[in-house]
Amino acid sequence: MRKFLAILVCKAGRFVGKLVGKGSSLPGKYALKICPDILSRVELPPHIIAVTGSNGKTSTVEMIAAILRASGKTVVYNEEGSNQIEGVTTMVLTHATMGGRMKADVLLIESDERYAARSFRFFHPTEFVVSNLYRDQLTRNGHPEWVFDALRPAMAPETELILNADDPLSSCFAEGHDPKKVKWFGMDECSISTKEPSGMYRDGAYCPICKGHMEYDYYHYNQIGAYRCTKCGHQKPATNYTATAVDLDRGVLTIDGGVEIALAFRSIYNVYNILAAYAACRECGVDSGIIQKVISNYILKNGRMQKFTLGQHHGTLLTSKHENSVAYDTNLRYIREETHDPCAVMVIVDAVSRKYFTSETSWLWDINFDLLNCGHVEKILLCGRYANDLAVRFGFTGIPEGKWELYPDIREAAALLESRGDEDLYVVTCFSDRDKLLDLPAVKKEAL
Amino acid sequence: MELKIIHFYPDLMSLYGSYANAALLRRHLEDLGNTVTVETVDYGQTADIAGADFLYMGAGTERSQKAALEDFRRFGGDVKAAAADGTAMLFAGTAMELLGASVTDCDGKVYEGIGLAGFTSVQGKQRFVGDVYATTPLYGPAVVGYMNKCAVISGVETPLLSSLNMGFGNETEKGPEGYHANNVFASELTGPLLVKNPLMLGAVIAAIYRRRGTALPEDIPAYPYEEQGYAITEQQLRLRWDKK
Repeated sequence: MRKFLAILVCKAGRFVGKLVGKGSSLPGKYALKICPDILSRVELPPHIIAVTGSNGKTSTVEMIAAILRASGKTVVYNEEGSNQIEGVTTMVLTHATMGGRMKADVLLIESDERYAARSFRFFHPTEFVVSNLYRDQLTRNGHPEWVFDALRPAMAPETELILNADDPLSSCFAEGHDPKKVKWFGMDECSISTKEPSGMYRDGAYCPICKGHMEYDYYHYNQIGAYRCTKCGHQKPATNYTATAVDLDRGVLTIDGGVEIALAFRSIYNVYNILAAYAACRECGVDSGIIQKVISNYILKNGRMQKFTLGQHHGTLLTSKHENSVAYDTNLRYIREETHDPCAVMVIVDAVSRKYFTSETSWLWDINFDLLNCGHVEKILLCGRYANDLAVRFGFTGIPEGKWELYPDIREAAALLESRGDEDLYVVTCFSDRDKLLDLPAVKKEAL
Repeated sequence: MELKIIHFYPDLMSLYGSYANAALLRRHLEDLGNTVTVETVDYGQTADIAGADFLYMGAGTERSQKAALEDFRRFGGDVKAAAADGTAMLFAGTAMELLGASVTDCDGKVYEGIGLAGFTSVQGKQRFVGDVYATTPLYGPAVVGYMNKCAVISGVETPLLSSLNMGFGNETEKGPEGYHANNVFASELTGPLLVKNPLMLGAVIAAIYRRRGTALPEDIPAYPYEEQGYAITEQQLRLRWDKK
């Protein structure tokens, strides 16, 4: 009876919520109050795929859903990003019959790293994809090893783990797990590999298991690459799904020597997201030809790039995540490598988070702003409340001081750009700050 | 002057932009006309601690901290002698815990600290996180920063921050934070501490000069970005604190 009531309340709550434009976690919250173990009482689909990691999970989940749907499967996933237990409950119950049977072939869940253990208390994913674990929102996450420890209880023995072989930390989830239930994706040494690490910190310098020195045959970015601990032997395992060649200039990724995928977005991070999605879908029995067809030139719906004009400037806003240096480095590298035309760059740090207040800016020191030290970046505007913190950080780059200017007031920076110049403009900022520019009357958004 | 900074385990203990404390200190010392060398120390490497003007270690994960401690213990006697001799030093983030008598991990395993001070650190499965707005006996204006730790630190008799208006201190909410004795500075505050607090950086520089018996130059360069950065953070945190 409680089960029936919980489903009814959840469905009704979701219906009303949609009408009034409310979020998707509240109906699940009520359902859990009525029946706390409701998730263990419903009949779930044969495949429950969870995706987590510091970066790329939203993109990976979107691609997995697109592939599985193209292969004829019915997929339910949390497109609205409600990835805590309440949101998952809403998603499951609103797609269930009143008898509690979910009407789908696959339940696909983008899972918050810190809350996964709670979300999966009452049921376990059949496949668990971990894209990577590195420095991300340390004000709430502590540090990557803290997140690892929080995530570990979510990995049930019967769950098949689909892990990034190139990440020395998240690969440790295989420790103590049945080896037959671990599948690895990774990238061979290829055109973008380097012998020296990049980035402002060396989280790959020490083994996450024993803290011995690690050696790398090659790096792909940050601590992602072919590592080997000189003390305990922790090393990159052999991969089941492999990027055997990557040509970012031509925009072609080759998986397992024969599956060629055209890249709509030519970045190493996109390559890893595709590889994770490929591995998960292959494990669900999807033919590689279908994956190739769906993912070639796939443009993400949740794309974080926004084109616009401001005066005579053609602008591209690259949404990063504050407090996530890898996300910033990704976009700074894009500006460095994707164009050689003269351009101006705006970096906006006005509110560190849209969810909570903090004045914590130590993460600026983890970002490799020297990527902007290149000829075609002619001017850099440091904007927002924390423009001075940015300026102190820029004082420790090799970028000449005459190239960057401070505009704590974003409107003032926009007005200046509107009245002057016609060079391309790139904006690097977070969800919390992007609309402070995009909503200005002088800014005209354009379709991609 | 020719000054030497020793930076212990810069890669292992590198969370929360820790390197910026050492980088900014170096920059300021050079701007005062000094020649500064920075010597980094990793596992098993030697260090002439007696010949250093400043010792520094930054924040690391709890596992990295234990690995650092295992190696750092061999310097314990030298570091204590340097402290007694007035050498300036900063142990930031989890590095602070190494100076005490012991560090207990979240499973109850006890690790012996170097015993420069008598305090003890007990780590748990909960993190204390949040902005900090604090008072220090060293100067009038507030100290700002961010707390991100999982240890309760007991037995500090001479804290660096005497009270907090906002944030978690050594062992309680709004309680005293850090450790300070003579020229030894220690704090779990990130920011990084010396970057976010120009006056704390000034206090460290004064300590370095004091030990050398050299007066600070009268003409000290201005750092408007650092000053403004501090002023805005101080204002923002005070606004929040006033609202409560």
